[in-house]
Amino acid sequence: MAARLDRESEAVLQGTLDMLVLRALQLEPMHGWGITERIEQWSEEVLCVGQGTLYPALYRLERQGLIASAWDVTENNRRARYYKLTAAGRRHVGRELESWRRLSRAIDLVLRATEA
Amino acid sequence: MARRDDRIAEEIAFHLEQQTAKHIAAGMSPEDARRAARLKFGGVAQAREAARDELRGAWLRDFARDLRIASRSLARVPSFSITAILTIGLGIGAAAAMFSVVDGVLLRPLPYPESDRIVQLFQIGDTGRRGGNVSEPNFLDWQAQTRAFAAMAETAAFPQTVLGAGEPQSVPVAMVSRGFFEVMGTRPTRGRGFLAGELQPGAAPVALVGARFWERWKGDRPPSGESIVIAGVAHAVVGVMPPGFDYPRDAAIWTPREQGVASPSRTAHNFRVVARVRPGIDIGAASAELSRVSRAMKVRYGGETMMADAVAVPILDVMTAGVRPALRLLLAASVLLLLVACTNVSNLLVARAASRQREFAVQLALGASVGRMTRQWLAETIAIAGAGAAVGVGLAAVAVQVFAAMGPATAPRLDQVAVRWPAVAFAAASAAGVALVLSLLTAWGTRSVRIADALSDGTRGGTSSRRQMRAREGLIVAQVALTMVLLAGAGLLARSFTLAMAVDPGFRVGDDLVLQTSIEFDGEDGPERRASMQETLLARLRALPGVVDAGLINAFPLGRGQFANGMFIEMTRPDEITAPGQFEITAPQFQGRTGEAEFRAASPGYFEAMGIPIRRGRAFEATDGPGPAHVAVISQSLADAQWPGRDPLGRYIQFGNMDGDLTALRVVGVVGDVRELSPEALPGRVIYVAARQRPRTTSGFSVIVRGPGLRALAEPVRRIMREVAPASPYELSTVGAGFDKAVGSRRFNLWLVAAFAAAALALAMLGVYGLVAYAVSQRSREMGIRVALGAEPSSLVRLVLARAAWLTVLGSAAGLVLALLASRAVTGMLFGVTAADPGVLATVGGIMLAAAMAASYLPARRILKQAPGRTLRDI
Repeated sequence: MAARLDRESEAVLQGTLDMLVLRALQLEPMHGWGITERIEQWSEEVLCVGQGTLYPALYRLERQGLIASAWDVTENNRRARYYKLTAAGRRHVGRELESWRRLSRAIDLVLRATEA
Repeated sequence: MARRDDRIAEEIAFHLEQQTAKHIAAGMSPEDARRAARLKFGGVAQAREAARDELRGAWLRDFARDLRIASRSLARVPSFSITAILTIGLGIGAAAAMFSVVDGVLLRPLPYPESDRIVQLFQIGDTGRRGGNVSEPNFLDWQAQTRAFAAMAETAAFPQTVLGAGEPQSVPVAMVSRGFFEVMGTRPTRGRGFLAGELQPGAAPVALVGARFWERWKGDRPPSGESIVIAGVAHAVVGVMPPGFDYPRDAAIWTPREQGVASPSRTAHNFRVVARVRPGIDIGAASAELSRVSRAMKVRYGGETMMADAVAVPILDVMTAGVRPALRLLLAASVLLLLVACTNVSNLLVARAASRQREFAVQLALGASVGRMTRQWLAETIAIAGAGAAVGVGLAAVAVQVFAAMGPATAPRLDQVAVRWPAVAFAAASAAGVALVLSLLTAWGTRSVRIADALSDGTRGGTSSRRQMRAREGLIVAQVALTMVLLAGAGLLARSFTLAMAVDPGFRVGDDLVLQTSIEFDGEDGPERRASMQETLLARLRALPGVVDAGLINAFPLGRGQFANGMFIEMTRPDEITAPGQFEITAPQFQGRTGEAEFRAASPGYFEAMGIPIRRGRAFEATDGPGPAHVAVISQSLADAQWPGRDPLGRYIQFGNMDGDLTALRVVGVVGDVRELSPEALPGRVIYVAARQRPRTTSGFSVIVRGPGLRALAEPVRRIMREVAPASPYELSTVGAGFDKAVGSRRFNLWLVAAFAAAALALAMLGVYGLVAYAVSQRSREMGIRVALGAEPSSLVRLVLARAAWLTVLGSAAGLVLALLASRAVTGMLFGVTAADPGVLATVGGIMLAAAMAASYLPARRILKQAPGRTLRDI
């Protein structure tokens, strides 16, 4: 039973992580490490991406056709795999953000109501 | 796989490097920086593992889990699962076995380099008939005027007596011309090939032998001065061909054709021609060039040649032409059986789906997604199809061995038949196809399960159960239709077989002994010495106790020998033609006096021993000995065709182009027609000459001994052969055995198609049984009410039976339409009936209906046993 609970909580995290990754890639193509840096920066170091789950998430999103990847060279002439949003990914992230905003607003409203 | 792992490793390494660099930039020592980076990353190994899972695709993992669940759920209903798996296994097994046979016989390339470029060249006569035999001058013109062939060669192969290599034996010997080994792309592996100096008349006779012939004789070592006697002539063995090489016609010995002198006549059709098409040139283009050249030759030579056109055919196609229609038909039959098996299992699955409706409904109600359940259902189907395929491949492996062992002796390449990867792939593809078809059919049968309906008592017969009933009925109709196609095929083949067996071949079929042998002497007086030895042999055989008569012929009906034929001229007087130069079929003075006939040499006693009736005049007699007056006996059909309404007796025939003896033949008798080639082929027009007078073509011959049969005569005949002709290889059989062999492939095809049809019929009966049983249980409440209201139970039984009969008739009608549409596939294999034979089709329709009624009756009878009170209580 414990195992199953773990799995479910991971699934919740997964969903969020996917969205964060897609959001991070919205501006420009990036490699894996760049994505973690970007998320940490934007979240003012609050969100720390569990990197053991980052690459599985990237591969999953790639398989779902939301992102695509290719080898490229960094500004320091180092080979790295760069990820970018596909057209489907772009549409997807728009929808996800919309529904996330609705949801977080709703949760926020509920929380404020109980505070009052 | 490796590339996937490399990618993961490289990305993780890059990540750690960047993180470390960042820490160093923040002032950490490189050591600490690396550790911190690792710490932040988490378990590298787990990350790699998780990443790999994602790359490989979770669906595979899920699918494995689905399959596990499916197998568990199938294991809970063993009778259903075993029935379904065995049914599919039977279908796939039959189809995979037939596919293996088709693959081995028709598709696998011959064991020569680029064997698909090797063709046989056929000449096409004025009448459009294709002939495999070609004359020397035409061959030379082909060779000189075509560009598409890299090499071209003549061959002529027939069995000859070989001495000096163990016991006397009859061995297929091929005369082959220069270029033959280039055409075949094969050379001797031990010893050497023919030398240029050996390819001319008068050179020392040499021979190449086959690997098996050599190894049985001399084992492993290379040839070193051995020699063998072929038809009385000593040949030095100079080389051994590689194992498996036996072209043409199972040859085991090859000799240079150039050592003999070929006839310069353009109508002396003595050789088969093989050629290798140049690389880069299409077979069709090569054939077109050959045709162009041949048509130009016809324009140039006119009546001198009988060739109007020519065609090049790959040798594999030539070899398998005789069995291709039968194999195609059998493959089609096995696929039909597979389809019948599919409909049957599909029906089972619909029934299972029906019984699980509540389970599904509960799952749906608890929030399982429709997609998830569909996947689960698909997994079960795939598990059944997969297990069925495994069973099928096992069955096929056994079946092809039986096939190769029991297949007709005349079928080529049966030794090539085995279950190979293509057949396994075929089974796997069939399984995938089966799973797909089953899922679709079942989905169609169970679509729109209504949760509410199913959660309430399913037996109340809502729309979904009615829909299921319709689906199952549809499946039964399809199954009956497919079965009907198979039954119709089997029925037509069975009718053809009985008709072929009932044909009067023109001679008595029984267990009279047939001695097939040859006597060969070299030299000028060879034929004379042979003729007197044959007389001795016949006299000794006639003297055996119980023997009524004995006679010989050089080509035994339905057996082996020289089945030669050609043009003859009816002469106005015995000495009209006495020199070869006068024998010009096309000469104007012979106009209207020429004909075509088979040439046979027979002895006194032959017609009597064979039971061939003498219609006019007389048969051969002991007095027809050597001398200036030769006699001939002709067949009734020749008499009718050549001298309609006139008396053929006393007429003179010149047929010396067949054996080189130009003595006039006087017709002394007319005998009944004989079906020589097969019971199904029309009798040929024959001119029989007296073997004693014309002994040049009787080196290979058969003796028929009318008397107490093979068993009683075998020992004394062996003794006589030892004493009279110790150097002659021989075989003993019976007339009946020859007849059996002649109808062997027909019998074999019939048995196989009948087996497929019987299996399909059994499956269809199972299907009907299941359907009626289901219908009765579904309607038990209704029946109960009806009985309670005063209906006769027997009328209810009739109601159920009528429904089953209606479905069967519907399916049978559809099947008949299908059978008629597919009739072209079977037409070539029929004898005496057409594919639309009403008697046969009505009979198989009757069988189908009777079988369906028998299958329905058992479950329908249950209505009678149902106590109306109980069913009513159950409401």
